[in-house]
Amino acid sequence: MYDMNRVENAVSQGDIKISANDVQVYYGDKHAIKDVSVDILDKTVTAFIGPSGCGKSTFLRCINRMNDTIPIARIEGRIALDGEDIYDRRVDPVQLRAKVGMVFQKPNPFPKSIYDNVAYGPRIHGMTRNRADLDQIVEKALRGAALWNEVKDRLHEPGTGLSGGQQQRLCIARAVATEPEVLLMDEPCSALDPIATSQVEELIDQLREKYSVVIVTHSMQQAARVSQKTAFFHLGHLVEYGDTDDIFTKPQDSRTEAYISGRIG
Amino acid sequence: MTDMPMPRSGTASAAKSSLMVADANTRRRNAAEKRFRLYGATAIGVALLALVVLLFTIVRDGSGAFRQTYLAIPVQLNAEVLDPKGNRNPEEMAKVLTLSYGKVLDAAVEAAVVRENIQIQGLTEKQISGLISKEASAQVRHRVLANPDLIGQMIDVDVLANGRVDGFFKGRVSMESAANDKNTSPEQLMLAQELRDRGLMVTRFNWNFLTNPDASDQRPEAAGVGIAILGSLYMMLVVLLLAVPIGVGASIYLEEFAPKNKWTDIIEVNISNLAAVPSIVFGILGLAAFINFAGLPQSAPIVGGLVLTLMTLPTIIISTRAALKAVPPSIRDAALGVGASKMQSVFHHVLPLAMPGILTGTIIGLAQALGETAPLLLIGMVAFVKNYPAAPPEGLFDPASALPVQVYNWTQRSDPAFIERASGAIIVLLIFLFCMNLLAIYLRRKFERRW
Repeated sequence: MYDMNRVENAVSQGDIKISANDVQVYYGDKHAIKDVSVDILDKTVTAFIGPSGCGKSTFLRCINRMNDTIPIARIEGRIALDGEDIYDRRVDPVQLRAKVGMVFQKPNPFPKSIYDNVAYGPRIHGMTRNRADLDQIVEKALRGAALWNEVKDRLHEPGTGLSGGQQQRLCIARAVATEPEVLLMDEPCSALDPIATSQVEELIDQLREKYSVVIVTHSMQQAARVSQKTAFFHLGHLVEYGDTDDIFTKPQDSRTEAYISGRIG
Repeated sequence: MTDMPMPRSGTASAAKSSLMVADANTRRRNAAEKRFRLYGATAIGVALLALVVLLFTIVRDGSGAFRQTYLAIPVQLNAEVLDPKGNRNPEEMAKVLTLSYGKVLDAAVEAAVVRENIQIQGLTEKQISGLISKEASAQVRHRVLANPDLIGQMIDVDVLANGRVDGFFKGRVSMESAANDKNTSPEQLMLAQELRDRGLMVTRFNWNFLTNPDASDQRPEAAGVGIAILGSLYMMLVVLLLAVPIGVGASIYLEEFAPKNKWTDIIEVNISNLAAVPSIVFGILGLAAFINFAGLPQSAPIVGGLVLTLMTLPTIIISTRAALKAVPPSIRDAALGVGASKMQSVFHHVLPLAMPGILTGTIIGLAQALGETAPLLLIGMVAFVKNYPAAPPEGLFDPASALPVQVYNWTQRSDPAFIERASGAIIVLLIFLFCMNLLAIYLRRKFERRW
């Protein structure tokens, strides 16, 4: 039993949430991202597709400044969240990451209990005053990640004991527990089997009601299934960006067409 | 075993190779594997044999230190000798030397021999009283000073037997060796045997070995490792309090926070180099820095502890860094991804996961420090120490010995009874090390988590 049945994509797309202008990323001497400008909408699933090494994950990690942890990475240009430049000197990346959550390629729950995994974010951000509030937040997050019914009787068992798909949904629950505004997902289904993948995809579709979701994926079918907007990256360039239907049915650029028809990548 | 079944005869047809016949290449590879297994098993066998021989020798030589022969006799505490003023004033009584107690004891031994009707063929008084240790008078004096009311009474005491007599019952001294020994004679040993047969002389477990201080060359039977154990414990305390926080702190900073540039590279190389510096060099450093420059007292556990801290730091830093490196980066990403600060990600997630490795490395470093001798020789820990150090923290500045130094010290002495003591001290040291390693294994199991 799932918490919610799959809803139709009836949510209207929102305003511009993230706006990137002329973003350049260098890893040492390597120019990894070249002149990327893109507007990502609120309450929309945006998919980044492209061949391996095209820079889509790198660009995703710029949006919550995870690249700061890589000493040789250098970023130029402007990325704004709700009009505020996230690379401004006054911005604390820790505060930014509370607003822009992230789910990684490989499920990486903390080696703690399921409860503690979800409660960790709210705890460190001081979102609750007492245990009852925290219990509520944990339940809400787990329901939001469509995991509550499966784990409600074993909240205090280790999160690493769950199956791969459950672990990834636990990571999503952990990310949504801090009530972010944007959710970044870096190939969230690449380590999952088809059934777990469809569960996570269903979940992504529901998350769109509340968040702006950006998903990096290798699978074009997945991009077509879950996203409303698609961006195609190639060799560090943003080649084409538009409505998913348009990208897959009438691509403007020959490289996009070559990629989606399987000739490159 | 993945070896193929070997056919008996090599009647392989040239046309088509059969799976039933191992070809030359396979045979060669299988033989190589067999040889390699043999080498490995031989290496293990040699290592085990060496270990068994080592343990056997030490236990054979050292187990005697844990058993000691005592002579149980009644002693008349003569008031005229022990308290000449007759006022039981402890200060006045303290002026009576062990010499006077010696006389009282000598008389008691003789009386006991006479009472038991033992034939004493040609033994002088001196030889009879020579059956008991020179330490015995100090033993009785101690007891009397602690309780002056005993004076004038007849008390039963277990006095230490002489080291040669003790050695005779442990098989170290024989009639033949006694004949060539000017310190003892076969007649004395026969008398001792008589006393033993009558139950006056008993050999039992020697707690005093674990609690007594060192004793002079003349009385190996009284020597113990008490001060050495205390000194070693004090030094471990210093090392634990200094090396662990400094070492773990330095590793966390270097591994998680420090920028990667040429300075951190230089520091890293130098830490590895420090681990390879001979320990005696640390001793000279300690002598120069802590005693000559900082003016700390010689022979003090604080100085020993500081020197051992310097020695242990590289070990702790290297193992802690290895443990931190082994934590998967995905855990750090996960913590940062939910908005934890760098420090929160390290202290909430990375450090708990690295804990088993850190603890193991730390305990191995401590065990290494516990067994270290060379640097301690240079800072005067080899001195003869008769008084127990006070309780910490003051006691850290009092002179003390250390277990490995005590072993070194005893092996330098001429009386073979000290070889037994030295081996006994090695057994104590090994038991300590064994317990520390057990603790390391236990902590490792306790903190280990799978992910």
